[in-house]
Amino acid sequence: MAEVSGEIQEPFDLIRLSLSERVVVKLRGDRQLSGVLHAYDGHMNLIMSDVEETIMIVDPVPEGVKPSIRVAKRHIEMLYVRGDGVILVSPPQRE
Amino acid sequence: MSDEASPPPPDGTPPPAPTQSSGSPSGFLKAVVGKRVVVRLVSGVDYRGVLQCLDGYMNIAMEQTEEYVNGVVTNRYGDAFIRGNNVLYISAGEPI
Repeated sequence: MAEVSGEIQEPFDLIRLSLSERVVVKLRGDRQLSGVLHAYDGHMNLIMSDVEETIMIVDPVPEGVKPSIRVAKRHIEMLYVRGDGVILVSPPQRE
Repeated sequence: MSDEASPPPPDGTPPPAPTQSSGSPSGFLKAVVGKRVVVRLVSGVDYRGVLQCLDGYMNIAMEQTEEYVNGVVTNRYGDAFIRGNNVLYISAGEPI
């Protein structure tokens, strides 16, 4: 019962408190995931479900032209994320 | 170690203990836990917020986190876990 957001002893506590919740994961390669976190380990390998992947694509443009950024999205039912691609994990806002 | 950096203690008095933040890298990190910090990643992205805790891999838990890309706020996270391998530096965002 002491597990409120002020009781975080180590960074992984933040992830443990987010199990079964929807989290945002920032990945290398300008990708972002939003999905329900089911499992993780010390490498930050993740198992997520009901995932929406957002991919930021910067199209190559001629010199001097403002680059345009496209956003591609896709849905994945169940996903294993290899930990070394993870930059940031953000749990849902809790009050 | 140069002479002026570590003068011998005069007549047996121990030299003043260094403040926690100047003693060692881990002393600095202990001193900034709970304080506002700037975490820069190798990609150049900055995260400003309150450092909740960190571990030996330099995995970081932050709260009230703002993401800055090229000096512009691009995201806000109530809590954020940053995987340590991405960290370039941790800078104190307020006096420690």
